[in-house]
Amino acid sequence: MNKRILKAMIKKDLRDIYRTNTLLTTIIVIPIVFSVLFPTLLVGSSLLFDIEKAVGNDVEKMLSMFLSQTNNEQTFTNIEQQIVYLFINYLLPSLFLLVPIITASVVAANSFVGEKERRTLESLLFSPVSIKTLFLSKTIASFIPSLLVSVTSFILCGIIINGLGYQLFGEIIFPSSNWVALIICLSPMVILFTVLLNLYISSRVKTYQEAQNMSGIIVLPVIALIVGQVSGLFLVGAKLTLIIAAVILVVNVVLLLRITKLSDRHILFEKQIH
Amino acid sequence: MNSIIDVRGVSKAFQGQLVLTDVDFKVEAGKIVGLLGPNGAGKTTFIRILNGVLKADSGSIRIMGHNPITDGDEIRASSGIVTESAGLYHQMSGRENLDFFADLYGVTDQNQKARLLELFELSGHENKPVGTYSTGMKKRLALCKALLHNPKILFLDEPTNGLDPDGINMVLSYLKKYNQETKTTVLICSHVLHQLESICDSFAFMENHTIIEQGTLSQLEQKYVTEVIVRIGTDLVLKETKILGYDCKPIVDGILVTLPSKTEISTLLKKLLQQHQVHSVEIVNNNLESIYFKVRERVR
Repeated sequence: MNKRILKAMIKKDLRDIYRTNTLLTTIIVIPIVFSVLFPTLLVGSSLLFDIEKAVGNDVEKMLSMFLSQTNNEQTFTNIEQQIVYLFINYLLPSLFLLVPIITASVVAANSFVGEKERRTLESLLFSPVSIKTLFLSKTIASFIPSLLVSVTSFILCGIIINGLGYQLFGEIIFPSSNWVALIICLSPMVILFTVLLNLYISSRVKTYQEAQNMSGIIVLPVIALIVGQVSGLFLVGAKLTLIIAAVILVVNVVLLLRITKLSDRHILFEKQIH
Repeated sequence: MNSIIDVRGVSKAFQGQLVLTDVDFKVEAGKIVGLLGPNGAGKTTFIRILNGVLKADSGSIRIMGHNPITDGDEIRASSGIVTESAGLYHQMSGRENLDFFADLYGVTDQNQKARLLELFELSGHENKPVGTYSTGMKKRLALCKALLHNPKILFLDEPTNGLDPDGINMVLSYLKKYNQETKTTVLICSHVLHQLESICDSFAFMENHTIIEQGTLSQLEQKYVTEVIVRIGTDLVLKETKILGYDCKPIVDGILVTLPSKTEISTLLKKLLQQHQVHSVEIVNNNLESIYFKVRERVR
């Protein structure tokens, strides 16, 4: 592994992200929507409107049922607190997962197919860059900005939730153990999985569009997670978050081994260069 | 002979379709070789195989003593390439492109980039994004990129495509000079024959996915030019179709005579000068283009 080459490739890719307006827009807009807009709307509306009056007995019962499943030690004085607590700790983390997924997906797909579409992949394959270095640099260069976006979103989310939620709860409610498990374990694993899957797909399809379409499949488990939580089928707590992260870690290792085995320069060249 | 490139019996097919068939090819170190052939003959595929980015189905290849399949990185580290698409990063400036490729090739000489930019008249444009460059400027920057690490072999795939006449002259004369100074072996793929005639030491002709002939211009001339056609600028007005027993025909301001060999030219001229004026004499069928078509005729 040539560290000089690795460093040059990562530096070039990061600069490329910074200079590609569409990419930059995506990695700015997505965190704003999921970590600023959504929590502001929910916590803000619970402060502005009298939700207790608006909801009926059925909703109250449903909230109590959800809360009984969570084994939380928090005591609630009103229905607004219950709604905000459930949203912040159970629904928002699932939605939040879309931040690293979308960011990593866009960045990784651009990183490999982008090289091919701009006809620069040919230059890289003609240079003394080993395929291992090529894939590793692409993985790191996609992982770093996605992780940064994820952590920044987490911080923004925390400021909004605690800033607005303090008026409602009279204490700091963020981050809960769910969030800590998510940001430390699940989010990096999900980013790595998205990046690896995207690189794997990108090295086998010809256009950016194809890569995007195929990698869109990653969003499906997250949607299942959201539906599962909204419907009350299951609630993902800290323990389950850690188990999911461990499973994704295993999948990542398998994916990494597959990528290393299949990444033959000749196959890559024949598949990618006309 | 010290062959820096030695190819024997190389074949390659893509999805059952033959792209190269039983190619034999040798290049002596320090020479400029022109790889000529029509579009689709397999020139680009051949260069890709030599660099180890494509795998030949059969045959053996040695580049600087290395096998492109097992020692591809060694070959790629010691060779430079200019592909038809130039392969540059358009959102990066010319200087940034060179910085990046210098890192990939481990170039430590910090003056090398400035020297090449100066040489290819790109110094004033080094900080502009490559996307704003003209085709000629991109080609020149691609040459800078290929020469950054002082390669032992330079592979050039249609290096003059998109260049204006001044650009073509500049690039070709620089290549010749560079070859003479550094003894770098150069392999140039092209279908523009007249551009290569003056700079190449030898030529290889590709046709039907294989190399059908290889040699220096004089070797090829000896083999393929069996009769000499001479264009003579003269005031002679032809009344017959023969002169001194040789076939001839009138052309504007002169005659075209077919002779069995070059040695007959003096005899013909001596006779002609006794009664007529001669303004110019030129052999018209020993240039690269004429030989190229003769070689192709043979295999058809």
